[in-house]
Amino acid sequence: MIASPEWQPVDLLVICMARLLRDDELVFHGVNSILPMVAVALARRHHAPRLRAINIAGGVNPLPRYLPRSTTDAELTYGSPALLSNEEIYDLCMRGGLDTVFLGAAQVDGAGRTNVSRIGPAERPKVKLPGGGGAAVMMPTAGRVIVSRAEHSRRSFVERLDAVTGAGNVDRVVTSRCVFRRVDGRLRVESVHPTSSAEEVLSETGFALDTSAPWPGTPPPTAAELEALAAVDPERVRDLERR
Amino acid sequence: MPFLPIAGFQGSDLPEALGWKTVADPYGDEELYAVPRLQPDWAVIHVPEADAEGNARIYGTPFWDRLMTRGARRVIVTAETIVTREHLAAQPELTAIPELFVAAVVHAPGGGWPGSCFPLYEVDYAAAGAYAAMPTDAECLDRHLTVTAPRDRGQTSADVTVVYSGSDAG
Repeated sequence: MIASPEWQPVDLLVICMARLLRDDELVFHGVNSILPMVAVALARRHHAPRLRAINIAGGVNPLPRYLPRSTTDAELTYGSPALLSNEEIYDLCMRGGLDTVFLGAAQVDGAGRTNVSRIGPAERPKVKLPGGGGAAVMMPTAGRVIVSRAEHSRRSFVERLDAVTGAGNVDRVVTSRCVFRRVDGRLRVESVHPTSSAEEVLSETGFALDTSAPWPGTPPPTAAELEALAAVDPERVRDLERR
Repeated sequence: MPFLPIAGFQGSDLPEALGWKTVADPYGDEELYAVPRLQPDWAVIHVPEADAEGNARIYGTPFWDRLMTRGARRVIVTAETIVTREHLAAQPELTAIPELFVAAVVHAPGGGWPGSCFPLYEVDYAAAGAYAAMPTDAECLDRHLTVTAPRDRGQTSADVTVVYSGSDAG
Protein backbone atom coordinates (compact mmCIF):
# COMPACT_ATOMS: atom_id res chain seq x y z
CA MET A 1 0.00 0.00 0.00
CA ILE A 2 1.27 3.48 -0.79
CA ALA A 3 0.66 6.62 1.22
CA SER A 4 -2.75 8.09 0.60
CA PRO A 5 -2.89 11.61 -0.82
CA GLU A 6 -3.75 12.81 2.67
CA TRP A 7 -0.49 11.77 4.30
CA GLN A 8 3.16 10.97 3.67
CA PRO A 9 5.36 8.30 5.32
CA VAL A 10 7.06 10.97 7.45
CA ASP A 11 3.64 12.00 8.78
CA LEU A 12 2.98 8.51 10.14
CA LEU A 13 6.52 8.39 11.55
CA VAL A 14 5.88 11.56 13.57
CA ILE A 15 2.42 10.34 14.57
CA CYS A 16 3.91 7.05 15.85
CA MET A 17 6.37 9.03 17.96
CA ALA A 18 3.59 11.24 19.33
CA ARG A 19 1.40 8.22 20.17
CA LEU A 20 4.09 7.07 22.62
CA LEU A 21 3.78 10.26 24.69
CA ARG A 22 1.43 10.56 27.65
CA ASP A 23 0.02 13.30 29.86
CA ASP A 24 2.18 14.29 32.84
CA GLU A 25 5.38 12.58 31.74
CA LEU A 26 8.43 14.80 31.16
CA VAL A 27 9.87 14.59 27.67
CA PHE A 28 13.08 16.08 26.29
CA HIS A 29 14.58 16.56 22.84
CA GLY A 30 17.98 17.92 21.84
CA VAL A 31 19.70 19.43 18.82
CA ASN A 32 18.97 18.37 15.24
CA SER A 33 15.66 16.86 16.38
CA ILE A 34 13.04 18.06 13.92
CA LEU A 35 10.85 14.93 14.18
CA PRO A 36 10.84 14.88 18.01
CA MET A 37 10.00 18.59 18.07
CA VAL A 38 7.01 18.01 15.80
CA ALA A 39 5.97 14.87 17.74
CA VAL A 40 5.95 16.74 21.06
CA ALA A 41 3.86 19.58 19.61
CA LEU A 42 1.50 17.05 18.03
CA ALA A 43 1.05 15.01 21.23
CA ARG A 44 0.33 18.13 23.27
CA ARG A 45 -2.30 19.22 20.78
CA HIS A 46 -3.86 15.85 20.00
CA HIS A 47 -4.01 13.70 23.14
CA ALA A 48 -1.58 14.83 25.85
CA PRO A 49 -2.22 18.50 26.69
CA ARG A 50 -0.54 18.03 30.08
CA LEU A 51 2.61 16.51 28.58
CA ARG A 52 5.54 18.30 30.21
CA ALA A 53 8.18 19.18 27.66
CA ILE A 54 11.66 20.66 27.79
CA ASN A 55 14.14 21.13 24.98
CA ILE A 56 17.81 21.88 24.43
CA ALA A 57 17.00 25.50 23.58
CA GLY A 58 16.03 25.82 27.25
CA GLY A 59 12.26 25.90 26.81
CA VAL A 60 10.07 24.68 29.66
CA ASN A 61 6.54 23.83 28.48
CA PRO A 62 6.95 26.39 25.71
CA LEU A 63 4.25 27.58 23.34
CA PRO A 64 6.21 28.27 20.14
CA ARG A 65 4.30 30.36 17.60
CA TYR A 66 5.77 28.27 14.79
CA LEU A 67 8.13 25.29 14.55
CA PRO A 68 11.64 26.48 13.59
CA ARG A 69 14.02 24.73 11.21
CA SER A 70 16.62 24.35 13.94
CA THR A 71 15.73 22.74 17.26
CA THR A 72 18.15 25.05 19.06
CA ASP A 73 16.13 28.07 17.91
CA ALA A 74 15.07 30.48 20.66
CA GLU A 75 11.50 30.19 19.33
CA LEU A 76 11.39 26.90 21.26
CA THR A 77 11.53 28.94 24.46
CA TYR A 78 8.63 31.22 23.46
CA GLY A 79 5.96 31.28 26.13
CA SER A 80 8.16 29.41 28.63
CA PRO A 81 7.66 30.57 32.21
CA ALA A 82 11.26 29.55 32.93
CA LEU A 83 14.40 28.44 31.13
CA LEU A 84 16.66 25.48 31.83
CA SER A 85 20.34 25.73 30.94
CA ASN A 86 22.06 22.80 29.28
CA GLU A 87 23.95 21.83 32.40
CA GLU A 88 20.68 21.78 34.35
CA ILE A 89 19.08 19.52 31.75
CA TYR A 90 21.96 17.05 31.96
CA ASP A 91 21.91 17.17 35.76
CA LEU A 92 18.17 16.49 35.67
CA CYS A 93 18.65 13.46 33.43
CA MET A 94 21.57 12.12 35.48
CA ARG A 95 19.48 12.20 38.65
CA GLY A 96 16.68 10.29 36.96
CA GLY A 97 14.34 13.21 36.33
CA LEU A 98 13.69 12.76 32.61
CA ASP A 99 10.95 10.26 31.79
CA THR A 100 11.40 10.19 28.04
CA VAL A 101 14.28 11.33 25.85
CA PHE A 102 14.20 11.48 22.05
CA LEU A 103 17.47 10.70 20.30
CA GLY A 104 18.53 10.26 16.71
CA ALA A 105 21.08 7.85 15.26
CA ALA A 106 23.16 7.31 12.16
CA GLN A 107 23.33 3.59 12.92
CA VAL A 108 21.26 1.34 15.18
CA ASP A 109 22.06 -2.27 16.07
CA GLY A 110 19.84 -5.15 17.16
CA ALA A 111 20.35 -4.30 20.83
CA GLY A 112 19.08 -0.76 20.23
CA ARG A 113 22.50 0.76 20.66
CA THR A 114 23.31 3.80 18.54
CA ASN A 115 26.20 5.35 16.65
CA VAL A 116 26.41 9.08 16.06
CA SER A 117 30.22 9.21 16.22
CA ARG A 118 31.70 8.01 12.93
CA ILE A 119 31.32 5.81 9.88
CA GLY A 120 34.36 3.67 9.17
CA PRO A 121 37.26 2.56 11.34
CA ALA A 122 38.53 4.74 14.22
CA GLU A 123 41.94 5.24 12.63
CA ARG A 124 40.57 6.35 9.26
CA PRO A 125 36.88 7.26 9.54
CA LYS A 126 35.05 7.76 6.25
CA VAL A 127 32.66 10.23 7.89
CA LYS A 128 33.01 12.00 11.19
CA LEU A 129 29.50 12.45 12.59
CA PRO A 130 28.46 15.28 14.93
CA GLY A 131 29.01 13.10 18.00
CA GLY A 132 26.74 12.43 20.90
CA GLY A 133 27.48 13.55 24.43
CA GLY A 134 23.73 13.57 24.87
CA ALA A 135 23.30 9.97 23.80
CA ALA A 136 26.07 8.59 25.99
CA VAL A 137 24.83 10.39 29.12
CA MET A 138 21.13 10.12 28.51
CA MET A 139 20.69 6.60 27.16
CA PRO A 140 21.71 4.93 30.45
CA THR A 141 20.13 7.56 32.72
CA ALA A 142 16.80 8.54 31.12
CA GLY A 143 13.64 6.66 32.08
CA ARG A 144 13.21 5.58 28.49
CA VAL A 145 14.64 6.58 25.16
CA ILE A 146 12.80 6.78 21.86
CA VAL A 147 15.14 6.72 18.86
CA SER A 148 13.87 8.04 15.57
CA ARG A 149 15.38 7.69 12.15
CA ALA A 150 13.45 8.20 8.90
CA GLU A 151 15.88 6.38 6.65
CA HIS A 152 15.59 2.63 7.26
CA SER A 153 18.10 0.56 5.28
CA ARG A 154 20.92 -1.92 5.86
CA ARG A 155 23.25 1.08 5.77
CA SER A 156 21.82 2.36 9.06
CA PHE A 157 20.22 -0.71 10.71
CA VAL A 158 23.31 -2.82 11.09
CA GLU A 159 24.52 -6.03 12.69
CA ARG A 160 27.61 -4.24 13.97
CA LEU A 161 27.98 -0.52 14.74
CA ASP A 162 31.11 1.27 13.51
CA ALA A 163 31.22 2.82 17.01
CA VAL A 164 28.96 2.54 20.04
CA THR A 165 28.06 6.09 21.04
CA GLY A 166 25.12 5.32 23.28
CA ALA A 167 23.68 2.24 24.96
CA GLY A 168 20.96 1.92 27.53
CA ASN A 169 17.28 2.43 28.08
CA VAL A 170 16.06 2.40 24.49
CA ASP A 171 12.38 1.52 24.48
CA ARG A 172 11.33 2.14 20.88
CA VAL A 173 13.01 2.83 17.56
CA VAL A 174 10.69 4.49 15.05
CA THR A 175 11.51 4.53 11.33
CA SER A 176 9.73 5.25 8.06
CA ARG A 177 9.07 1.50 7.69
CA CYS A 178 8.18 0.24 11.17
CA VAL A 179 8.26 0.63 14.93
CA PHE A 180 10.77 -1.50 16.87
CA ARG A 181 10.28 -2.22 20.56
CA ARG A 182 13.17 -3.35 22.73
CA VAL A 183 12.27 -6.49 24.66
CA ASP A 184 14.82 -8.41 26.74
CA GLY A 185 17.61 -6.35 25.25
CA ARG A 186 16.71 -7.02 21.59
CA LEU A 187 14.80 -4.94 19.07
CA ARG A 188 11.62 -6.64 17.86
CA VAL A 189 9.26 -5.36 15.21
CA GLU A 190 6.20 -4.01 17.02
CA SER A 191 4.33 -2.92 13.91
CA VAL A 192 4.92 -2.40 10.20
CA HIS A 193 3.66 0.79 8.57
CA PRO A 194 1.02 0.44 5.82
CA THR A 195 3.46 2.19 3.46
CA SER A 196 5.94 -0.66 3.90
CA SER A 197 5.79 -4.44 4.28
CA ALA A 198 7.25 -7.23 6.39
CA GLU A 199 9.38 -8.30 3.40
CA GLU A 200 10.77 -4.80 3.04
CA VAL A 201 11.55 -4.50 6.78
CA LEU A 202 13.35 -7.84 6.66
CA SER A 203 15.37 -7.02 3.56
CA GLU A 204 16.27 -3.50 4.72
CA THR A 205 17.31 -4.46 8.27
CA GLY A 206 20.88 -5.66 8.77
CA PHE A 207 20.37 -7.38 12.15
CA ALA A 208 18.42 -10.55 12.86
CA LEU A 209 14.69 -10.18 13.61
CA ASP A 210 12.29 -12.48 15.41
CA THR A 211 9.84 -13.74 12.79
CA SER A 212 8.23 -16.45 14.91
CA ALA A 213 4.93 -14.53 15.00
CA PRO A 214 3.45 -12.32 12.27
CA TRP A 215 4.03 -8.59 12.74
CA PRO A 216 0.93 -6.44 13.14
CA GLY A 217 0.35 -3.39 10.98
CA THR A 218 0.75 0.16 12.31
CA PRO A 219 -2.68 1.80 12.56
CA PRO A 220 -2.77 4.47 9.84
CA PRO A 221 -3.15 8.11 10.87
CA THR A 222 -6.60 9.07 12.07
CA ALA A 223 -8.36 12.13 10.74
CA ALA A 224 -7.91 13.81 14.13
CA GLU A 225 -4.18 13.07 14.15
CA LEU A 226 -3.73 14.48 10.65
CA GLU A 227 -5.74 17.55 11.54
CA ALA A 228 -3.62 18.18 14.66
CA LEU A 229 -0.43 17.59 12.67
CA ALA A 230 -1.49 20.10 10.02
CA ALA A 231 -2.25 22.59 12.77
CA VAL A 232 1.10 22.31 14.58
CA ASP A 233 3.28 21.98 11.47
CA PRO A 234 1.50 23.72 8.59
CA GLU A 235 4.82 24.53 6.89
CA ARG A 236 5.84 20.83 6.96
CA VAL A 237 9.12 21.46 8.78
CA ARG A 238 9.11 17.68 9.26
CA ASP A 239 10.04 17.25 5.59
CA LEU A 240 13.52 18.59 6.45
CA GLU A 241 14.35 15.23 8.03
CA ARG A 242 16.68 13.39 5.70
CA ARG A 243 15.35 10.16 4.31
CA MET B 1 39.19 20.95 39.57
CA PRO B 2 41.06 18.45 37.40
CA PHE B 3 37.93 16.33 36.76
CA LEU B 4 34.26 15.89 37.57
CA PRO B 5 32.39 12.63 38.05
CA ILE B 6 29.53 12.11 35.63
CA ALA B 7 26.62 9.66 35.35
CA GLY B 8 25.95 7.68 32.22
CA PHE B 9 28.34 6.55 29.46
CA GLN B 10 27.98 2.87 30.41
CA GLY B 11 28.17 0.72 27.29
CA SER B 12 29.56 3.54 25.16
CA ASP B 13 32.85 3.37 23.25
CA LEU B 14 33.51 7.04 24.01
CA PRO B 15 35.23 6.77 27.44
CA GLU B 16 37.83 4.35 26.08
CA ALA B 17 38.32 6.39 22.90
CA LEU B 18 38.80 9.51 25.02
CA GLY B 19 41.02 7.81 27.58
CA TRP B 20 38.68 8.46 30.49
CA LYS B 21 39.23 6.76 33.81
CA THR B 22 36.71 5.91 36.50
CA VAL B 23 36.46 6.89 40.16
CA ALA B 24 34.76 4.99 42.95
CA ASP B 25 31.88 6.69 44.75
CA PRO B 26 33.43 7.23 48.23
CA TYR B 27 29.95 6.92 49.80
CA GLY B 28 28.61 3.95 47.85
CA ASP B 29 29.46 1.16 45.45
CA GLU B 30 29.09 2.94 42.15
CA GLU B 31 31.91 3.42 39.67
CA LEU B 32 31.65 6.70 37.78
CA TYR B 33 33.51 8.14 34.83
CA ALA B 34 35.77 11.07 35.74
CA VAL B 35 35.62 13.63 32.95
CA PRO B 36 38.92 15.48 32.63
CA ARG B 37 38.98 19.26 32.70
CA LEU B 38 38.52 20.98 29.35
CA GLN B 39 40.08 24.43 29.32
CA PRO B 40 40.13 26.38 26.04
CA ASP B 41 42.65 29.22 25.86
CA TRP B 42 40.00 31.56 24.49
CA ALA B 43 36.24 31.79 24.23
CA VAL B 44 34.75 34.30 21.80
CA ILE B 45 31.14 34.98 22.67
CA HIS B 46 28.76 37.15 20.67
CA VAL B 47 26.02 38.87 22.70
CA PRO B 48 23.26 41.42 22.10
CA GLU B 49 24.39 43.77 24.88
CA ALA B 50 27.65 44.37 26.72
CA ASP B 51 29.16 47.30 28.55
CA ALA B 52 32.70 48.54 27.99
CA GLU B 53 34.02 46.33 30.78
CA GLY B 54 32.59 43.15 29.26
CA ASN B 55 29.53 42.61 31.45
CA ALA B 56 27.11 41.00 29.02
CA ARG B 57 23.51 39.95 28.67
CA ILE B 58 22.44 37.02 26.54
CA TYR B 59 18.77 37.07 25.61
CA GLY B 60 16.94 33.97 24.52
CA THR B 61 18.43 30.54 25.01
CA PRO B 62 20.91 29.84 27.82
CA PHE B 63 23.19 27.77 25.64
CA TRP B 64 26.83 26.84 26.08
CA ASP B 65 28.01 30.45 25.89
CA ARG B 66 27.78 30.95 29.63
CA LEU B 67 29.61 27.69 30.36
CA MET B 68 32.40 28.50 27.92
CA THR B 69 33.07 31.82 29.64
CA ARG B 70 33.66 29.88 32.86
CA GLY B 71 35.83 27.24 31.19
CA ALA B 72 38.13 29.35 29.03
CA ARG B 73 41.28 31.01 30.29
CA ARG B 74 40.36 34.28 28.61
CA VAL B 75 37.17 35.61 27.02
CA ILE B 76 36.50 38.03 24.17
CA VAL B 77 32.99 39.45 24.12
CA THR B 78 31.64 40.77 20.82
CA ALA B 79 28.44 42.79 21.12
CA GLU B 80 25.67 44.14 18.94
CA THR B 81 25.31 47.15 21.24
CA ILE B 82 27.54 48.70 23.88
CA VAL B 83 25.33 49.69 26.80
CA THR B 84 25.98 51.57 30.01
CA ARG B 85 27.01 49.96 33.25
CA GLU B 86 23.87 51.48 34.81
CA HIS B 87 21.66 49.66 32.30
CA LEU B 88 23.12 46.31 33.41
CA ALA B 89 23.24 47.21 37.09
CA ALA B 90 19.49 47.89 37.03
CA GLN B 91 18.95 44.13 36.66
CA PRO B 92 22.23 42.37 37.43
CA GLU B 93 20.53 38.96 37.46
CA LEU B 94 20.25 39.23 33.67
CA THR B 95 24.02 39.54 33.25
CA ALA B 96 25.27 36.19 31.98
CA ILE B 97 28.94 37.12 31.72
CA PRO B 98 30.56 39.22 34.47
CA GLU B 99 33.44 41.58 33.70
CA LEU B 100 35.72 39.47 35.89
CA PHE B 101 36.23 36.91 33.11
CA VAL B 102 36.47 39.23 30.11
CA ALA B 103 39.76 40.20 28.43
CA ALA B 104 38.37 42.31 25.58
CA VAL B 105 35.12 43.77 24.27
CA VAL B 106 34.46 44.34 20.57
CA HIS B 107 31.55 46.37 19.21
CA ALA B 108 30.48 44.14 16.31
CA PRO B 109 26.97 44.80 15.00
CA GLY B 110 25.81 41.80 12.97
CA GLY B 111 28.68 39.77 14.43
CA GLY B 112 26.58 36.66 14.81
CA TRP B 113 25.74 36.47 11.10
CA PRO B 114 25.12 34.09 9.35
CA GLY B 115 24.09 32.63 12.70
CA SER B 116 21.43 34.23 14.84
CA CYS B 117 21.49 36.74 17.66
CA PHE B 118 18.24 36.56 19.55
CA PRO B 119 16.05 38.59 19.45
CA LEU B 120 17.68 40.80 16.81
CA TYR B 121 18.03 38.43 13.88
CA GLU B 122 17.52 34.81 12.96
CA VAL B 123 19.79 32.37 11.18
CA ASP B 124 20.46 33.40 7.57
CA TYR B 125 20.05 29.92 6.14
CA ALA B 126 20.89 30.94 2.56
CA ALA B 127 24.16 32.54 3.64
CA ALA B 128 25.03 29.67 5.98
CA GLY B 129 24.41 27.21 3.14
CA ALA B 130 26.60 29.21 0.77
CA TYR B 131 29.34 29.35 3.39
CA ALA B 132 29.17 25.59 3.96
CA ALA B 133 29.26 24.93 0.20
CA MET B 134 32.17 27.30 -0.42
CA PRO B 135 35.17 25.50 -1.99
CA THR B 136 37.91 25.20 0.62
CA ASP B 137 40.88 26.33 -1.42
CA ALA B 138 43.72 28.68 -0.48
CA GLU B 139 41.62 31.78 -1.19
CA CYS B 140 38.48 30.79 0.68
CA LEU B 141 39.17 32.92 3.75
CA ASP B 142 39.90 36.01 1.62
CA ARG B 143 36.72 35.38 -0.33
CA HIS B 144 34.73 35.07 2.87
CA LEU B 145 36.18 38.30 4.26
CA THR B 146 35.40 40.14 1.01
CA VAL B 147 31.83 38.98 1.20
CA THR B 148 31.40 39.86 4.84
CA ALA B 149 33.34 43.17 4.90
CA PRO B 150 30.35 45.32 3.90
CA ARG B 151 28.38 43.85 6.80
CA ASP B 152 31.21 44.70 9.17
CA ARG B 153 30.89 48.30 8.02
CA GLY B 154 27.34 48.30 9.26
CA GLN B 155 25.43 47.48 6.09
CA THR B 156 22.44 45.25 6.52
CA SER B 157 21.72 41.97 4.81
CA ALA B 158 19.56 43.81 2.28
CA ASP B 159 22.68 45.62 1.05
CA VAL B 160 24.84 42.54 0.79
CA THR B 161 24.42 39.78 -1.72
CA VAL B 162 26.18 36.67 -0.60
CA VAL B 163 28.07 35.28 -3.58
CA TYR B 164 31.19 33.22 -3.12
CA SER B 165 32.74 33.60 -6.57
CA GLY B 166 33.97 30.44 -8.19
CA SER B 167 31.19 28.50 -6.54
CA ASP B 168 27.75 27.75 -7.84
CA ALA B 169 26.45 27.47 -4.30
CA GLY B 170 24.76 30.88 -4.43
